[in-house]
Amino acid sequence: MSRNAWVLLPLAAISTSVYATTYFTVEQAQEAIFPGARMTPMFVTLSEAQQSAIEKRSDVNVRHAEVKAWRLADGSLFIVDEVVGKHEFITYAIGLNADGSVRQVEVMDYRESYGYEIRNEHWRHQFVGKTAASPLKLTEDIKNVSGATLSCRHITDGVKRVLATYDIALKRA
Amino acid sequence: MTSPSSAPDNLPRRHARPWLGTLVEISAQGAEADLAIAAGFAAVAEVHALMSFHADDSDVARINRSLPGQTLTIAPLTTAVLAFSLHLQQRSQGCFNVAIADVLVRHGMLPGADIAEEALDCPLVLLPGDRVRRVGPGRIDLGGVAKGHAVDAAIDAMRAFAVESAMVNAGGDMRCFGVPQPVHVRHPQAPGLLVALGVLTDAALATSSGYHARREDVALAPEPLVDPVSRSCMGWGMSVSVIADTCMVADALTKVVRLNPALSLTLLDAYAARAIVIDEEGLRSAGASQGFRES
Repeated sequence: MSRNAWVLLPLAAISTSVYATTYFTVEQAQEAIFPGARMTPMFVTLSEAQQSAIEKRSDVNVRHAEVKAWRLADGSLFIVDEVVGKHEFITYAIGLNADGSVRQVEVMDYRESYGYEIRNEHWRHQFVGKTAASPLKLTEDIKNVSGATLSCRHITDGVKRVLATYDIALKRA
Repeated sequence: MTSPSSAPDNLPRRHARPWLGTLVEISAQGAEADLAIAAGFAAVAEVHALMSFHADDSDVARINRSLPGQTLTIAPLTTAVLAFSLHLQQRSQGCFNVAIADVLVRHGMLPGADIAEEALDCPLVLLPGDRVRRVGPGRIDLGGVAKGHAVDAAIDAMRAFAVESAMVNAGGDMRCFGVPQPVHVRHPQAPGLLVALGVLTDAALATSSGYHARREDVALAPEPLVDPVSRSCMGWGMSVSVIADTCMVADALTKVVRLNPALSLTLLDAYAARAIVIDEEGLRSAGASQGFRES
């Protein structure tokens, strides 16, 4: 490799139409955030009024009326939430301490999809530039991607929404 | 899928949490993998707290609120990042400059009120004892280097534990030790298309890019890349990846490669780093890093 000049190289692209990773199941995430703790489910369905209040408080849309929460004996909460971006779908767990502060956030599932054209070999070929010799292969199950486009704004918004939900619908008086 | 039970089974563990404005993924393999991963995330959280432009009590916010003549005490982590930034600013003839927050504010990329006067050079002087003195106007943003430094801090923290290998990936800026890792980068014109770069061993890889440039676009929308010389926001128009020994160096050099590819050749040599650029022409590369080989 030349130290002193820019050199054109062949581009060997591998495409993936769906990049998906599961980090935790619900049970595993519960154990990770609250090791050894027992918790009881307290799923809550938000009323229209509560949903409006949450949207107003957090400035984030409420997409689902159901809140998947589990309560621990000391008042801590474990909540499973999901956020959807243009190309990403993320399920995550958030542990709240008894005072409503965030204890830990763990991503459970991350899925991204950029569309069907990826599978089209002719479509893929337009991106190889001038030096690729062979058509692009299609492979899935890839990790270690550099240059992620994801901003975690969606998760940050999700956490804001969950905290507002805690305040308005979940915390004990 | 990983198994996070407390009994050590030596399977690789991989977890992800939101930090630094992106998703940070940390994996490790070894007897103390869980402890190492927890320590890695703690290190990332610490860098996040110190260098956030938005958080009121971060070192960056305190520096940005200070007035000329004031001296502040900062964390050693912040000193390290500022020292490197000032050094690279000189070596890159001003291509790399952290005092560009005002340009980003002016373009609506960062929150805040416009100010009348912007810095031409970084308006800070480092003093012994983790202190910094402001000598002129201008706000700093460490976004071009903080992610890389967070990755380095996490890796350093993880080395203290009994793990054979580890990988930290902060929104695409990554570093590993132990098991060699195959790495891919998104094609700047089709982000769902992944390009196999090669294999990373005990080294760091950072990529900067704008993914708005499609073949049909005529004009590039401004993205948060600032040319400190012209003091304007520019489009990336390409993907720039740099492999170096540390992620902070890799992260910072992506900007120099983009803004001054000719000058970057000298810096790639000085830092024993390798750059890979992908645009509509294809892929081109310069420099060499012992931590990287093509697949």
